[in-house]
Amino acid sequence: MRIFLMQRLTAIALLVFLTLHMVVVHYPPGHIDVSRVLDRLHDPLWKGIDIAFLFVVLVHALTGSYMVITDVERFDVYKRALAGIAVVAGVALFIYGTQTILAF
Amino acid sequence: MYRSTGFLSFLLRRVTGVALVLYLLLHIWVIGGINSGADTFNSRMEFLGKPFFRVLEIGLLAAVVYHGIDGIRLLMVHYLNVTEYRKSLLYAALAVSAILVIAGGLPILLFALEG
Amino acid sequence: MSTTALSVTVRIQRFNPDVDKKPYWDEFKVEATQGKTILDALHEIKEEQDGSVTFQRSCRHAICGSCAMNVNGQNMLVCETPLREHVDRKGRITIRPLPYLPIIKDLVVDRTRFWEQYLRVKPWLIPPENIPEKEFRMSEDEVKALHDAEHCIMCGACYSSCQVVALNKSYIGPHALLKAFLRVMDPRDSAPAARLDDLDKGDGVYRCHTIFNCIDACPKKLNPTEAIETLRKLAMKRQAFEDARRERQQQLNEPIGPVPGH
Repeated sequence: MRIFLMQRLTAIALLVFLTLHMVVVHYPPGHIDVSRVLDRLHDPLWKGIDIAFLFVVLVHALTGSYMVITDVERFDVYKRALAGIAVVAGVALFIYGTQTILAF
Repeated sequence: MYRSTGFLSFLLRRVTGVALVLYLLLHIWVIGGINSGADTFNSRMEFLGKPFFRVLEIGLLAAVVYHGIDGIRLLMVHYLNVTEYRKSLLYAALAVSAILVIAGGLPILLFALEG
Repeated sequence: MSTTALSVTVRIQRFNPDVDKKPYWDEFKVEATQGKTILDALHEIKEEQDGSVTFQRSCRHAICGSCAMNVNGQNMLVCETPLREHVDRKGRITIRPLPYLPIIKDLVVDRTRFWEQYLRVKPWLIPPENIPEKEFRMSEDEVKALHDAEHCIMCGACYSSCQVVALNKSYIGPHALLKAFLRVMDPRDSAPAARLDDLDKGDGVYRCHTIFNCIDACPKKLNPTEAIETLRKLAMKRQAFEDARRERQQQLNEPIGPVPGH
């Protein structure tokens, strides 16, 4: 099933993205404010990386949530509806998130 | 529920996964503060910079690390023939997770205490 | 060899739907002598202490699969398990029926759903059109690739140890998927793509979450998880697999390697 493949592929991608994110953004731990973020994010390359990261993490999170919920028999009937909600939520969050990244 | 080490790993993976989804939604919303201006963003960051939240971050680190390491374990099961070592792999995953959380969590803790 | 007899408390989950509202525990004392199996203990209890204790058994030597039960939280065949091996520190052993299946009485469960899932994967050979004159010939490698899956005795230990089954009754289950694996990998079977198509659906191979309880529970040391992973890989290239199968079946008549005795 394609959902399974998407989960796996985004999982592998996230191993890379997340490690990068942790090292670049969160270490060493310090006070974060706009200037610290802007130091990195005014570069369009970083904006691009973050947007890709957002896309990958949203796919993984939403396919994962879908799988967790539909594993329970009672919610199996709502499969289609849940998939629809996941797609809509994903698109909405992606648009909002991308626009946020671009706003820096 | 049928008790086993495999079930424990599955349960932890699910619990950390759900927790991380909730965190993700929060993260997207918090960073979205920039849309209302740099001041909004900064004040949110300052609020979240308080020691209490810094300590919670260690929990977040634990969730991400465990979920990721367990994910690697799953990928190994999928692509390599390792079911024979399933118990050892699980213990190794827990050990590696613990090491990474301590290594990563100490600086956070120190920073929280001094702040 | 220890000769001191150990007195063991056997806790059995009882439930008679005609009389009881919900299951309850009964306790019996049995001596764990050398070589006594859990099934021996159950027989002893039934014959000497309480004739109403109900359980299923038949062959007594781990080939029929009837006596699969849950002992101290693990599924196993009680006919081949020594009583002494599963006594806890308090000198007790706890016996429950197989989990996640409806209880008919005491330690007997209703396996209808188990069999329905089994039938769903069409666990019989779908032979090719050109049936050979004598026998089908398979190479040793082809037989090895089956990983002994034909040793399955359909005892139900794996199916009822799986938490995915617990969450969702429509999950096909490790037992049926192992059987499907056997048929898909069998060079005499002519419908691997159709089989993989069916397993590809929502309640099939992608529902396995690699919890591994099935491997731990299997009395024949089989590996349903590995079989399921192989099916997942094959499902992604099922057409190529079927084409290779058709080609292979052109040669089913011919001997592979040296034939013994010639």
